[in-house]
Amino acid sequence: MATAEEIAEAYADWQGRCNGNARLARMLRGWDRTVHLVATDTGDGFTISVAGSVLADLRHGLVDRPDLVVSATSEDFADLFWGDLNPSDKYVSGEIVLAGSSEDVLRLDAMSMVAFLDQ
Amino acid sequence: MGLRTAVSTSTGLAFAALQYLAAAGLVAYVAGDSAWISIGVAGVLALVAWAFFGELNGMFPTAAAIRRYMSGAMDDRVALSITFTYLSTIVLVVAADAFIVSAALTHVLHVAGWLTAVWTLALLAVAVASNLRGVTAAGWLQDVATSVVLAATVVVSVVALSRSGTALRTPFQPLQHHSAAGFVESVALGIFLYSAFEWVTTNAEEVRDPRHIHRAMLIAVAILFVVCAAMATAMSHVLTHAQLTTAYPQLSLGQRAFGAAGLWLMAAVTAVTALNTFNGGFITASRFVYATAREGSLPPVLARLNDRAVPWVPVLGLGVVSFAVSLVVEAVGGSGWQVLVAVGAALEGMIYAVAAFCVLRLRGRAPDHHRPFRVPLVRVVSVGGLVVFGVLAVVASVSVGNRFDPLPLAIIVGLGLASALYTVRVVPGLQAAEAARRAARPTRRPPRPAAPGPPEPPPPAVP
Repeated sequence: MATAEEIAEAYADWQGRCNGNARLARMLRGWDRTVHLVATDTGDGFTISVAGSVLADLRHGLVDRPDLVVSATSEDFADLFWGDLNPSDKYVSGEIVLAGSSEDVLRLDAMSMVAFLDQ
Repeated sequence: MGLRTAVSTSTGLAFAALQYLAAAGLVAYVAGDSAWISIGVAGVLALVAWAFFGELNGMFPTAAAIRRYMSGAMDDRVALSITFTYLSTIVLVVAADAFIVSAALTHVLHVAGWLTAVWTLALLAVAVASNLRGVTAAGWLQDVATSVVLAATVVVSVVALSRSGTALRTPFQPLQHHSAAGFVESVALGIFLYSAFEWVTTNAEEVRDPRHIHRAMLIAVAILFVVCAAMATAMSHVLTHAQLTTAYPQLSLGQRAFGAAGLWLMAAVTAVTALNTFNGGFITASRFVYATAREGSLPPVLARLNDRAVPWVPVLGLGVVSFAVSLVVEAVGGSGWQVLVAVGAALEGMIYAVAAFCVLRLRGRAPDHHRPFRVPLVRVVSVGGLVVFGVLAVVASVSVGNRFDPLPLAIIVGLGLASALYTVRVVPGLQAAEAARRAARPTRRPPRPAAPGPPEPPPPAVP
């Protein structure tokens, strides 16, 4: 199990990559959203938000009304933010569970793909 | 997404412009205005399919449900082959709708026939461009569009019937001057009138209450029965054989109900059906292709996104292929769209049979999996569904316009073989390349500091 601190460290890296990517900034234009992350094994909850194409700092706890809820194990969250995990595989196998519109899901997946694979 | 939008999504996905032609075509198989009986029987079978999809969607309430339950029930290569074949229905329906709307436009404007191809190109270009810009129909717009289409179709049908001046001729004698085989063929075609109602399961992650999907599919089947039965009965009663075999029987129906105003009304309604088809078809197909490419089962280029986070290659590809198919339909003429209807009906029967198989197989393989809804008498219903839908799929695949024609079967076999060949020959290479790409990328996550070991044992006491 990954601790909340490990997830926060991984997120900080992901946040830096995302916010430093000019293409992703264009892709996120107008996509202001609040996303809840729920670690199914530890019970930890986190909130991330995007506003003005900028990914804000990770907040501990489930804050505000979410547009999208992502449930996964703490290990998967850590691996995902470090870019070591392709979320599509885990999603298809049912290990990552999403609640929200398909467009929001696609945008979140795009963030991982563009930030790490530059596609 | 609330229940109302889930219902309009399910109904709207099923009710494409091609449905008007399918209803008109169905009339040829049974005695006149008793076509509603075939549609009713097909509706009962759609309810059986609803039970299958209800159980499967309850087990896997996700947009990736079809991948999950099929790969859980059978070999993944077989599952992928079937899914790719099934997805071709979307191309066929988008192509057919673009052609039908264009043909209707050409008819009401009284312009040269060759302009139909120009309208088709323009319609698909608009659909592709708006998809590439990330424009999607909002839920409320979809609710309104679907309600308008369904209400207008029912009103036009009822008014056309009431103005025909004569009572129904054979409302309860579908076999009068027709064979039992014709009735079976009409039921097989009737399945197509409900086709795609189950695509709403891909919205499982968007609904406020997971039960909405299950309820929405049930309500959609009931609505589709009422609308299609009214439409087919009215068409059989007031249209001539020549009008029934055009690419725009709904325009003739509108004309019989309200004169020239009815003609324009139904032309507008036909155009609105395309909004639903293009919106749902492009999004469903392109997102599935994107997800499959991300998974490593399709070339990575299909997962490329534009600056609006839209997988642009699948969207563009769907537009180009749909245009090519619509050109073929136009070139073939009268029977072209009938072949598409037959292919669509057969593929729908096939996927219902596959759903029956998956329900049965997963009961054995995953008996403890949570199932909010369970198919009652599962062995009887699943085996029965597998046989009935399988037979109807075969019947639909060799029937075009009330005559034997193996062309739809040949198209399906061709699509299936191409999918299987791709899955067996190409997919392993793509997956190996994807695995190699991933292995070549160094792990970025820093290793955890070694956990402190157990405390050192105390030194032995020195006597």
